[in-house]
Amino acid sequence: MNQVSKIQRRRRLLLCLALICLPMVMNAAWAHKVLLGLWPDGSDIEGELGFSNGDMAAPGTLVEVLGPDGEPIGETRVTEEGLFRFTPTRSVPHTFRANLGAGHVAKASLPMDEMPKIRDSGTPSGDAASVESQAVVPVSAERPADAPTLDPTALEMLIAEAVRREVKPLRRELSALKEKIGFQQVLGGLGYIAGISGLLFFVYARRS
Amino acid sequence: MHIVDGALSAPVLVGGTLLAAAGIVRGARDLNLERIPSAGLLSAAFFVASLVHVPIGPSSVHLILNGLAGLVLGWISFPALFVGLLLQALFFGFGGLTVLGVNTLDIALPAVIVGLLCRPGVRSANAALAAFWGGIAGALAIALTALMVAAVLALSGDAFIPAAKLVVIAHVPVMLIEGLLCAAAVTLVRKVKPELFGMPADASAVGLRAAEVRS
Repeated sequence: MNQVSKIQRRRRLLLCLALICLPMVMNAAWAHKVLLGLWPDGSDIEGELGFSNGDMAAPGTLVEVLGPDGEPIGETRVTEEGLFRFTPTRSVPHTFRANLGAGHVAKASLPMDEMPKIRDSGTPSGDAASVESQAVVPVSAERPADAPTLDPTALEMLIAEAVRREVKPLRRELSALKEKIGFQQVLGGLGYIAGISGLLFFVYARRS
Repeated sequence: MHIVDGALSAPVLVGGTLLAAAGIVRGARDLNLERIPSAGLLSAAFFVASLVHVPIGPSSVHLILNGLAGLVLGWISFPALFVGLLLQALFFGFGGLTVLGVNTLDIALPAVIVGLLCRPGVRSANAALAAFWGGIAGALAIALTALMVAAVLALSGDAFIPAAKLVVIAHVPVMLIEGLLCAAAVTLVRKVKPELFGMPADASAVGLRAAEVRS
């Protein structure tokens, strides 16, 4: 009998240890939420679609593009590495929606002030851009003659491209960090459950 | 396993919420002072288990532990798992608040069904048989949950067969793991705290006192 209780005690101890170690193992675990990121790229909108565990959406995944009132504007498909590209034709806020199946849905919007300038559409914003670039040209003409001449808009695009490339790992890390579940959150949740149990004890004890 | 906000149509959300509320009320009726600790414990276990991820193929799935909850709690699984899901939505951003009812239904209803089906088996005098039933309970609860998720997605417009295939196939490894885990848990609980299954405290007297305790 004594031996049995000893074994039981040891088992209980093991159970407790397992419960304590569990959160430490889990810290590295991710939720499989769907992430959808958007940014302007020249006159296009580029985006990235993937799961929060670092996997990207499969090539060919449909991404719907919706207008400000939820009306469909168009659609695009994911190419490689979870990237997709859409050329806007109207200067309204665009909302992108993707369904990766099994209840995995993601939605993200690009507000008006982040929208790319629309090319070849004759909208006022497009005109303003071309006027601006013409105005800059005389300034660049003042440079030494031996310097390679570079169209300012092309330069702007090159810089934007370079910055995007540099920032890409950062953006990934940031979204991973946002999805990371800290020890505090786990403890907070467990605390709530303990609190609710206590509250129920109080209520049921008063009732009986 | 958590369905996120925006994946389901409004009638499905409302229907699921109403059914989940009914389940929670039914579970609250069963709740009493003696069962609050086990409800809280399983709620906490469920809350934490969702962080244990099993990487498979391109995605990963996480433990749910609703089979064990059903075996121990019966209808009380509804309130217990609801609390766990609510906190997961608030703290981890799993699922969402509008789909809370549907998620509760998807996870707690299989728990209740499994509890009704497998509890007599788990109480069996034969330890191996009880562990077997525990394994069945763990695996079946996941299978039913996967089917319910597929059904709910189907009601919102996804085609049922592909959606069901996708969800069920994704959860086959979890079914295996949960089955083993539940079998181990049943074996442990029978030795350490058989009262959780409504068995007498002394496991050697199961046959003699089972009827007395059940009443």
